[in-house]
Amino acid sequence: MSPSVSLRPADRTAGADIGRPVDLDLTGAWLVDSATGREGPGELVVRGGRIESISWSDRPGDEAGAHGVVVAPGFTDLHAHLREPGGEAAETISSGLAAAARGGFTTVCAMPNTTPPVDRAAMVEAARATAAASGSPVRLLQIGAATAGRGGEALAALGELADAGVVGFSDDGSPIQRADLLRHALAYAGMLGLPVIDHPEDLGQTSGAEANDGLVATVLGLTGWPAAAEATAVARDIAILAEVVRDVRGARLHLTHLSTGASIEHVRRAKAAGLPVTCDVTPHHLVLTDEWLAGSRRWAWQALDDAGNARDPWRDGALEAEPYDSSLRVNPPLRGAVDTRACMAGLADGTVDAVATDHAPHTQVDKDVEFGLARPGIAGIETALGLLLEAVDAGQLPLRRAIEALTVGPNRVLGGAAGAAPGFAEGSTADLVVFDRAERWTVEPGGLLTRGWGSPLLGRSLPGQVILTVAGGRLAYEAI
Amino acid sequence: MSTVLTEPSNGSKGEVEATSVDRPPAWSHRHLLDTDVLTWPQVELVMDTAEVMAEIVAKRRPRSDALRGVGVTNLFYEASTRTRVSFEVAARHLSADVVNVSAGGSSIEKGESLLDTMRTLESLGARVLVIRHAVSGAPYIVAREFRGSVVNAGDGRHAHPTQALLDLYTLRRHVPGGSLRGRKVVILGDVLHSRVARSNLWTLTAAGADVWVCGPATLLSGFEAWAVAGVGGERRFTVTTDIDAALRDADAVMALRLQQERMAAGLLPSLREYAARFGLTRERLALAKDGCLVLHPGPMNEGVEIAADVASGRRSLIKEQVANGVAVRMAVLSLVTSVGERSGS
Repeated sequence: MSPSVSLRPADRTAGADIGRPVDLDLTGAWLVDSATGREGPGELVVRGGRIESISWSDRPGDEAGAHGVVVAPGFTDLHAHLREPGGEAAETISSGLAAAARGGFTTVCAMPNTTPPVDRAAMVEAARATAAASGSPVRLLQIGAATAGRGGEALAALGELADAGVVGFSDDGSPIQRADLLRHALAYAGMLGLPVIDHPEDLGQTSGAEANDGLVATVLGLTGWPAAAEATAVARDIAILAEVVRDVRGARLHLTHLSTGASIEHVRRAKAAGLPVTCDVTPHHLVLTDEWLAGSRRWAWQALDDAGNARDPWRDGALEAEPYDSSLRVNPPLRGAVDTRACMAGLADGTVDAVATDHAPHTQVDKDVEFGLARPGIAGIETALGLLLEAVDAGQLPLRRAIEALTVGPNRVLGGAAGAAPGFAEGSTADLVVFDRAERWTVEPGGLLTRGWGSPLLGRSLPGQVILTVAGGRLAYEAI
Repeated sequence: MSTVLTEPSNGSKGEVEATSVDRPPAWSHRHLLDTDVLTWPQVELVMDTAEVMAEIVAKRRPRSDALRGVGVTNLFYEASTRTRVSFEVAARHLSADVVNVSAGGSSIEKGESLLDTMRTLESLGARVLVIRHAVSGAPYIVAREFRGSVVNAGDGRHAHPTQALLDLYTLRRHVPGGSLRGRKVVILGDVLHSRVARSNLWTLTAAGADVWVCGPATLLSGFEAWAVAGVGGERRFTVTTDIDAALRDADAVMALRLQQERMAAGLLPSLREYAARFGLTRERLALAKDGCLVLHPGPMNEGVEIAADVASGRRSLIKEQVANGVAVRMAVLSLVTSVGERSGS
């Protein structure tokens, strides 16, 4: 049976506008219910924004459907920069939520490194009001600053921020450099039942760093960002957590945008020891490598030889684009193929809990400049699914695991703050994304909803066109 | 980037007509951003063209009409004397209209972006932009949009292609037989931060030289991996911290400038210690072959990376490097402008 997606606004007189409750009949699609772990062909009926019924078909030979239209719970992004207030030229809450919906995300955790930073309850209220006024049904969850003004010198108003509804605390963009403050933040946030989300970077090792410390940086003359700068920060954080958790049972550490095999291994061991640590990786650290800075455009797994060693893009003649594309400047930097493989392996075996986009839009003024002067960040919330599906298509990752890392994975990281596990329970509010794995789309500046300038993927085609996103029972995005 | 073709081992040269305005068949580069994209015949074309230019330079009143009416703008974001003047003299010898822009005393100080500056200079008639910039890769973003030609006069630690070409030109004039194939050439000093070293690695290995890079371990970081991978993924070189091993039986040695800030960054204990262990002295040079050639891209710290008597010694080609720089840059300017401007907006 060929899949069919029939969408109607529940309010028939108003047209299928963003924010309207939806009626939806999905037949012949491949359903992935992350909450129960079940996937297969089936039918899903939504009425008035609620899941009225779900029925699974188990006819043999239907597995081919997994390569067509897929229905998954709406994605949760643990890590996005929406830039409002202070950076509205790069992104607003409204444009960021629209971009999120286009990427299949129905919940977005906004990082607090705005100008001023979100370190007070009133700013949480303001962000929430702005999100409501945008008309987007995508749920905005706010992360509060861990230290006052993100200054790294004193704790922010953690309790008041918690009362205002933040889902965690982070100085992201910077690490919590003072170890004593990280210790206190873990304990205090643990008392409040919330995680501390650290950006692991030992700044003493990354002064002036431009690119992953490796062959590409050596040849291109870029200042290296060593993997050890992340791994030592991760090790420090975990050592502190291990002590704090003895006193504060609720203490939780989440490590964001891990990019190296050594970091992943530290987390794997900490988890095996029973420590309350979680972590995420970004799509770009899974699928792109530092070779791209030199002009390669092959995927991470194509940059490995059969023995699992990194290939040499010069030897392979793999350099096809101009070097120093500033859209590739990101922190932590794109790594080599051995590290990306370790991140992928961590994702596959569950060491990595979630894929988070680290959506980091910038203006052309800040980005279309010399590589080493460009602000770090990739605005990737609309390309996250496509990159993950490239990995799935290449046999690097099972589809179900990719979806878990965007749904129940981040939900677990957030704990109770995020609500019920993302799934298709009958009677629940519909929160889902419909995408077509077989339909490729081309990343074009005019086609993206983020205000962020540039993407390293411009001109590339990616699998998995998002057809429809429904957030909280309401229409969030619909492909024309 | 394409792979560099290495020098044919039989040393044969193609017939090359080194005229300046008609586009020579072997030349295809509207910009010269690094030596990595040059095929070996293209490197030879630069050498041969530079020889023609050297004859012009040697005249009492050097003048060619090759770039008459062509606007050449030197856009220097870093202080430079010899490279900027060398480009300026080269362009004037070719009758170009030369404009010099430095970061001080311009809108660059007011925060104008590199691309806006480029567009302004383009509107003011710049046909060739010669760029010196402290950030690696900066000339590439200009080349992406500039209609004319971009010549990299040094970007960060990345590349200094005209320096590498003039070094090769200078060496070839002095090694017996004019070929570097199998000749041991040592690059000595702060290799990590050196754009001169990187551009020379491409050309010297393409020329078939047995290239050694030598310096303190902190200033060679990452190079062992490159040596193993090979330049262009194939052409090996040798990395060592043992200066005696590096200099033994060397045919040429190129000392690199040591910047004071390396001490502040904790990369080296002191200048004194550096000079004692890695300074190019007469005693050390005795390990090399008789007649070992000595180069330095300048400016020199005499008594640090190179002893004064070595710098001014009989085998020093340092002054000649400066003189040859003009001819090589004339060759580069004439070659890149032989490729038409980009059409369209």
